[in-house]
Amino acid sequence: MRLLPATRGIVLLFLALGLAALLNAQGLRKDAESRQGAGRGIALAATRPLARLSEFLYLDRPRRELQLAIGREGEDRIDTRVTFRLPPPAGPLPNRPAAPTKPAKAHRRPLFTPAHPLRVWVAGDSLVEVPGEALVRATGRHGPVDILGVESRLSTGLGQPAVYNWFTRIAQAIPQLHPKVAVLSFGADDAHDYLGGMPAGKTVGKLGSPSWNAEYRRRVDGVTRELNAARVYVVWIGLPIPAGPGFRRSFPVVNSALRLVAARHPHGSAYIDTWDLLASKQGKYTDYLRNAQGELVLMRARDGVHYLPSAGDLIARAILRRLDHIYDLRS
Amino acid sequence: MLFPTPTFAIFLLVVLPLSWALMSRQRAWRPFMLLASYVFYAWWDWKFVFLLASSTIVNHVLAVAIYRAANARLRRGYLFVAVAFDLGLLGYFKYAGFFVSSAENFLANIGIAGASSVVHVALPVGISFYTFMAISYVVDTYRGELEPASFPRFAVFLSFFPHLVAGPIVRASELLPQLEKPRDPRRVDTTRAYYLILTGLFLKVVIANHLATHLVDDVFAAPKEHSSLETLVAIYGYAVQIFADFCGYTNIAIGVALLLGFQFPQNFNAPYTAVSLQDFWRRWHMTLSRWLRDYLYIPLGGNRKGRLLTYRNLLGTMLLGGLWHGAAWTFVAWGGIHGAGLALERLRGDVRKALGHADPPDTRWRRVIGRLVTFHVVCFGWIFFRADSFGRAWDVITQLVSAWGQPSPLVTTSVVLAIVVGIGSQYVPLASIGAALRGFQRLAVPVQAACLGVGLMLVDTLGPPGVAPFIYFRF
Repeated sequence: MRLLPATRGIVLLFLALGLAALLNAQGLRKDAESRQGAGRGIALAATRPLARLSEFLYLDRPRRELQLAIGREGEDRIDTRVTFRLPPPAGPLPNRPAAPTKPAKAHRRPLFTPAHPLRVWVAGDSLVEVPGEALVRATGRHGPVDILGVESRLSTGLGQPAVYNWFTRIAQAIPQLHPKVAVLSFGADDAHDYLGGMPAGKTVGKLGSPSWNAEYRRRVDGVTRELNAARVYVVWIGLPIPAGPGFRRSFPVVNSALRLVAARHPHGSAYIDTWDLLASKQGKYTDYLRNAQGELVLMRARDGVHYLPSAGDLIARAILRRLDHIYDLRS
Repeated sequence: MLFPTPTFAIFLLVVLPLSWALMSRQRAWRPFMLLASYVFYAWWDWKFVFLLASSTIVNHVLAVAIYRAANARLRRGYLFVAVAFDLGLLGYFKYAGFFVSSAENFLANIGIAGASSVVHVALPVGISFYTFMAISYVVDTYRGELEPASFPRFAVFLSFFPHLVAGPIVRASELLPQLEKPRDPRRVDTTRAYYLILTGLFLKVVIANHLATHLVDDVFAAPKEHSSLETLVAIYGYAVQIFADFCGYTNIAIGVALLLGFQFPQNFNAPYTAVSLQDFWRRWHMTLSRWLRDYLYIPLGGNRKGRLLTYRNLLGTMLLGGLWHGAAWTFVAWGGIHGAGLALERLRGDVRKALGHADPPDTRWRRVIGRLVTFHVVCFGWIFFRADSFGRAWDVITQLVSAWGQPSPLVTTSVVLAIVVGIGSQYVPLASIGAALRGFQRLAVPVQAACLGVGLMLVDTLGPPGVAPFIYFRF
């Protein structure tokens, strides 16, 4: 191969990346939405005019046509609406649970059998994947519980509908999948100072501030009430104890909102506490815990946040125990 | 910082012109490249930069001590300290939890209960790769094959960002001479660089990520819930996924290095066209294979100490090679399968020789059968590599035979196409690629930029949303 001057390579890099940025401008614009911290403002400021220029030059068309051809149309759409069909509850949500979080036991538990299985939909961010897969393993193909699917979307949550609008998706999933139970895991990507999808003119304070907490609880509560209204029981998987000190401060804020909302809807929702479930006896973070067979096994991924399958098995067991409490599950 | 991200694109847009601008002034270029590489590394976790810096300082000091040592005993002593330091770092950060938990489980099995005492140790990205490079540097110095480089040159060698987190494992004798004098700005292999970067991105973002998210992850997470056909295709799918993931990463790394004016060794050469396991290991992760050969297999005695010891050395090298990939017994089993396979191939040759039989003729059919058998042995090994436990690996194996005729919704056209492209790409003749690159080189710069820009758009649009990390980052 003929060797060329470095300047040619540099010019080519600038031109190629410039053109690629214009062709992918809508995707970059959406990617900017998912950023946190100081980088977010810069990314948004850079991608907004880029997206406009791309549209003006019709350079957004090839990507859009390609997405249409492969059945992924609308992937770049930024939908920031946080809408609920039901009217908001009267008065603000309480800051403390009014009653213990122990689920209310139904007098007569609805019966589910392999012929008429309990339809369970599992959805959330990357943290839902492993417990979801563990539920698939634990329930089997011919049991009284039918896992309809595990929808895991990386770096999403209830805090940034622009990245992926779970409010829209949950509203769609109810008539599409007819679940009886929704197992949801959100929050790891929400535990930041920024909350997207705020009504115009309204802002929230930093993570953990009263306004942030109230807005996040409003969203969790809204999702719970929408699902409950469709007769779907909601299981909220809490965030696990993390290795890093930053997450150890931020995750409890999210967990507190999930726990409060679950306590507010004792007949329609439950909270699975993975913090304590995956903590050591001393209440500290640990990579290794004993599994059901009593073996000491690696539970957590190297990032100190995500689960490994053995942790998924523990969480799935906790979820199934809770469901067993609510429903009469017969093999 | 991950390669297929806008952040890395911006990083490269800054680093590439500055690198060439400073290239003629090496005193400025080396600190600049060191800083750029440390920024690249610190993007994950800035604290581990100190570990990389410590490894650089200790290995440099000991390499110089080895070189200047007055007698062989002292040299051996310094070498021992250097290798113990490097393996100690690797052992602590990568294997501490694994060994402690294995010991606790063993003691529990024989009735000695112990308190869980496994501490959390975060794994620094790329530690396996730069530790192996550091070991090769001190060993080569000890062997007299290398003179220690100046500290700035060695620091750039160890931390040079294109290879820093997932290889290829570049030898000091390959990279240090290139760091000695400024690279010639008039002679850069730009065409091959962009070809490698674009194909690398396509392999990783489109092929590997698609197979992982649409088939492999689901099947390996719950094998019992999938049909035999899905299981079989998922095994083939994982074979292609791991190739596309890792070859994709190293293609990008080699391409970026070329743009900066540096040559890295090739790391993959169509591994699924291999006609035997020995051939496979000459084509798969070639820089690791030769590292294991030169710093483990040969020092163990290689094939110089009789047949039985040769088999033992092959098995031992591959078992340790398996453990290098991950702190789990399933990786050791994977290494064991390859080690046993290599030993059996050797045994077959030895028996043939002992019986006075000539080597069989190299016919087309023999090669086809050799490729099929090798590919399937490699796929069998991948089951243990991918499964998170022996139980899950066994589930995958039993599911291969017990669930035929069941619906297979995960075996879609796009999944089959990705597998066919992943394997088929390895059979494309090099002459065709060369002709295409020469054609590309003749195009005007704006047309070339248009081709690359459209290529990047295709990669970004066809790949699943989100940026999945490279598999080999874990190693």
